[in-house]
Amino acid sequence: MRATRMPIAVGMVAPSFILHGDARPLASSECRGRPWVLAFARRWTPEADAGPIRAQLRGLGAILFVVSDTGVWSFRPDDDVELSAAPSKRLRAELAELAERFGVDAGDDGVFVIDGDGIVRFAQAPSEQLAQTLADALDAAGRELLGLPPRPGITRRDWAVMSLVAGFGLVLFHGCRPPGPERPAPAPIAANAGSEIDIVLRVNGQDRRLRIDARVSLLDALRERLALTGTRKGCDHGQCGACTVLSDGRAVNACLTLAVAAEGTEITTIEGLARGEQLHPVQAEFITHDAFQCGYCTSGQILSAVALLHEGRAKTDDEVRQQMSGNLCRCGAYPNIIAAIQAARKDVAS
Amino acid sequence: MKPFSYVRPADAGAAIQAAAAGGARFLAGGTTLIDLMRLEVMSPTALVDLGRLPLAAIERHGDGLRIGAMARNTDVAHHALVAERYPLLAQALLAGASQQVRNMATVGGNLLQRTRCPYFRDLAVPCNKRAPGSGCSALEGYTRSHAILGTSASCIATHPSDMCVALAALDAVVHTRRAGRERAIPFAELHTLPGDHPEIEHVLEQGELITHVELPPSPFAAHARYVKVRDRAAFAFALVSAAVGLDVADGRIRAARIALGGVATRPWRSVEAEQVLVGQAPGRAVFERAAAAALVDPKPRRDNAFKVALAQRTIVRALELAWGTP
Repeated sequence: MRATRMPIAVGMVAPSFILHGDARPLASSECRGRPWVLAFARRWTPEADAGPIRAQLRGLGAILFVVSDTGVWSFRPDDDVELSAAPSKRLRAELAELAERFGVDAGDDGVFVIDGDGIVRFAQAPSEQLAQTLADALDAAGRELLGLPPRPGITRRDWAVMSLVAGFGLVLFHGCRPPGPERPAPAPIAANAGSEIDIVLRVNGQDRRLRIDARVSLLDALRERLALTGTRKGCDHGQCGACTVLSDGRAVNACLTLAVAAEGTEITTIEGLARGEQLHPVQAEFITHDAFQCGYCTSGQILSAVALLHEGRAKTDDEVRQQMSGNLCRCGAYPNIIAAIQAARKDVAS
Repeated sequence: MKPFSYVRPADAGAAIQAAAAGGARFLAGGTTLIDLMRLEVMSPTALVDLGRLPLAAIERHGDGLRIGAMARNTDVAHHALVAERYPLLAQALLAGASQQVRNMATVGGNLLQRTRCPYFRDLAVPCNKRAPGSGCSALEGYTRSHAILGTSASCIATHPSDMCVALAALDAVVHTRRAGRERAIPFAELHTLPGDHPEIEHVLEQGELITHVELPPSPFAAHARYVKVRDRAAFAFALVSAAVGLDVADGRIRAARIALGGVATRPWRSVEAEQVLVGQAPGRAVFERAAAAALVDPKPRRDNAFKVALAQRTIVRALELAWGTP
């Protein structure tokens, strides 16, 4: 049902959006710090099954957006807003762009669950029979978050709510502020100078246990301790970008990050981008466009480009240059790097 | 890097307690601190990691805004309320650093950003800021990047933050907490002039935690502009920057804000220049008079004398752009 474009995947930064409804504009930035659910449910109406779901989500401090053929709704803990029952031309265009950025084709359904850090925790374009009711779709999301197999047949609404609520409790409160439940934060630490600290780093989807000195940078931990040498050390001062990795989907300098301070975040390195033998579209386009010469800066360039495309703000060549300015290339491959990034845009959901 | 004890506290109270001892430093985004620790320009005996404390909220506060100290520059710059009500702040944040650094750097850390003076970063030469009493290498050194306002015989290092220039223009208030005491510090009172003690850069005490920054309602959203002049178009510190705001009613300037970066030892607001504008009709001539008034008794040195004229022209340009002059 989806075309060739790279679908939104778990672990990515959710695309940003602003919707101009009849009420005040609604921006994704307002969701930061709270989990939210975005449902494209084309045949859904609020009468169908909103009651218990809304009540539960409100209790969790979570926000639910529903886009259907008959309107757009934002169910928030503090106020429920019917954004628009008859979308204006502008709003229709914004919704079409929203669907495209989430990789959902026109007329299709989809459910996305985003945590308080803005990271996608669940992404699915449900099949037709699954999307009969919103409850079904949310049930599927909740069960996957819990690691349970899909439920056969039709779902009772209370089950759907139960599984989503449980799923929320397990993984979704990443980055959320009180009064909502805390994410399972890394434990408090008090370590004396010179003593080593036991930490767990989550790198490319795997938990890696380390006993390290607090002085060790994330960059050195990746390269020297975890043998992930794709991340490069250039200047070691945050000026060249060769060490760029993704932390909860955002580009950061691993050289300026202490490994101990990175505990509790999702780290993605160049080794974690490909899916098996299938290169990430940005990797593939770097090859197609000959976007490197010596290759030393390339992994950092690619990770910055991945973050840039997922965030979706920089669009023109000038904007891309500006956003990529933290990655230096001494070979001067910049024109081809820009070309590769622009070419990958169509395949990366932003 | 020298060894340090590492504390990841469970809450703000524990953080304040852990940072009470001299030699302890709070770790926020780390983009300045880790860099300077690796150079051994700074060698704290303890780091208190604020990364997991719930201090990152960006919220409406009446008609103003309340920005948590751990809010990342990227999040502040792209927040809908900041874009709508404080475009000056968004522009200044996006003019600074790189994608990566903006994703890491925090509002609280940026308030206390350390200078980029090359002599401060070089352990081989004297620097009064790094080693009090050792002397200032910049005075007889290469001064292209140095300050012309607020300098002393001990130090001519510039304050490097873009964000702070906007906050100076926006009448920000910095809220802090320390054992048993909270206080609200008007932005103009946060940073100190170097005088004889350039190692002291602000009025915060040991273990005093910045919790949030409050922005009062601003009448300048419609006419505000941050202009940054630098050696390259991206990822460079300002030679000169200007943050300006105009509140215009019935063809007259009702209130104005002018602040400068890259030219002074602290974020530099010029009330003198603002007063020139008040009551006048906006236009090139009055903008130039204001710009002239902004540079009171500058102290240019061999390599940075160009900053006097450049600062004035940058103010004029920022005012023209803010007002909408093509």
